[in-house]
Amino acid sequence: MTQAIDTTIYAAVSEAIQGEAQRILSAGEVTAIVGYATARRKGSAQPIVITNADDAQKLIFTPACVNNLAVYLTKAKKEIPKQGKIGIVVKGCDLKALAGLMGESQLKREQLYLIGVPCAGVLASTIQPDTQLTADTIAPKCTECDAHLPQGCDFVPAQTPVTPELEKKYAAEIARLEALTPKERWAYWKEQFSKCIKCYACRQVCPFCFCEQCLCDRNKPQMVDTTPRPAGNTAWHIVRAMHLAGRCAGCAECERVCPMDIPLNLLNRKMAKELKELYDYEAGFQVNENGPLNSYTEKDDQSFIK
Amino acid sequence: MHSEKQKHDFEPKIIAFVCTWCTYAGADLAGTSRMQYPANVRVLKFPCTGRIDPVFILKAFQQGADGVLVSGCHPGDCHYIAGNFHARRRFAAFRKLLEFVGVDLERLQFSWVSAAEGGKWVEVVSDLTEKVRNMGPMTEFKELALEEQWSGAINTAELKEAYNEI
Ligand code: SF4
Ligand code: SF4
Ligand code: SF4
Repeated sequence: MTQAIDTTIYAAVSEAIQGEAQRILSAGEVTAIVGYATARRKGSAQPIVITNADDAQKLIFTPACVNNLAVYLTKAKKEIPKQGKIGIVVKGCDLKALAGLMGESQLKREQLYLIGVPCAGVLASTIQPDTQLTADTIAPKCTECDAHLPQGCDFVPAQTPVTPELEKKYAAEIARLEALTPKERWAYWKEQFSKCIKCYACRQVCPFCFCEQCLCDRNKPQMVDTTPRPAGNTAWHIVRAMHLAGRCAGCAECERVCPMDIPLNLLNRKMAKELKELYDYEAGFQVNENGPLNSYTEKDDQSFIK
Repeated sequence: MHSEKQKHDFEPKIIAFVCTWCTYAGADLAGTSRMQYPANVRVLKFPCTGRIDPVFILKAFQQGADGVLVSGCHPGDCHYIAGNFHARRRFAAFRKLLEFVGVDLERLQFSWVSAAEGGKWVEVVSDLTEKVRNMGPMTEFKELALEEQWSGAINTAELKEAYNEI
């Protein structure tokens, strides 16, 4: 029997979010709130931006609230935070992304009113939204989550998520790949990368892919072939993983949105693991202006250099 | 004065990304001192190792390099103070990524060669050339590039048969 995951607190969490949203909107503390609302398909949820206190009761939190809403505060929507203080509903993993964005001077803490969510987990991308949350249906990222209770928010509902010990799915897969020979790993990734259709959904959804012009779109000089074919795909994935190394918050949105089911977050997580080992750095709740790849110490390891 | 030319079955292409202040000057010194080293290496000069983007290494492999060398000033000697410190971290991370994707790291060498180390330049280049020569051609990225242009494998039984019938 698969282990069910207790999400009974989500109802009380939703209620508390609604109450707080109602209060801060009517008090004029924020001009808008980015949160989740019920969507049309049974049990599903979708992002919503509300500006009116009457809409506060639309806000929910359920296992279908998969999106990382931090992405709504960067990129094309950059003007949103400029219109006054914005409220945003964040799970722990999303909060790490926000902290990262603050560290990279993309957002200011004073512009935000953070409504943290005590979270036991959300559904995996392949699961129907009205499914019960279990050890099998939970998103892989939640099996190795260390951020169930967000810290440093302006408001967090007073609930404690029940978080059973689960098999760490990414760690297990990374270990499996590490044990292969380089040739086998190349064959594995070649097959995975060959599926990519270069839709760039992974880039679009990532809070950290906020460059106005991506290196992979430039054609003078063209460093990465833009065609969705083997060489260009491999280069795209390597460049993507490299540009996110030391920045990725581990929200796994890239992998969730990939229409070709490429396990691309494995690359990001592998990099996170290596950077932790090399430079003792980990994405967390604290705002850090110096990521592992934009800082250095004079004693850094150089055993690989002649 | 020339040493005996040796004939080899395979001459690897080595691309060297070097900084202009130290390693390029070091290679220059090797040249002006008339030291001999393998002509397999193609040197590309950059202002600093900090300017050498990992994507250049990818591009080199895709364009047919069998080995890549990245070389610059020793730590503390960077003309721009900290470019090589940043590069050191970046390449430490990039190596791990390439390894995870399945690239043999033996084909990728990093070194510090100062303007006074003509001898070290010769040693680094010779060692890498010999190592890569023994490993044979780097085929992985070339195959990808080939597949980029051809829709399928070009040595299938069907194609061979069709060819023989011409
Ligand atoms: S990773 Fe953690 S905070 Fe994020 S959805 Fe999963 S359980 Fe919740
Ligand atoms: S790379 Fe993926 S997991 Fe990392 S921050 Fe971007 S979307 Fe989230
Ligand atoms: S979302 Fe998937 S298919 Fe689309 S570009 Fe990213 S990896 Fe490729």
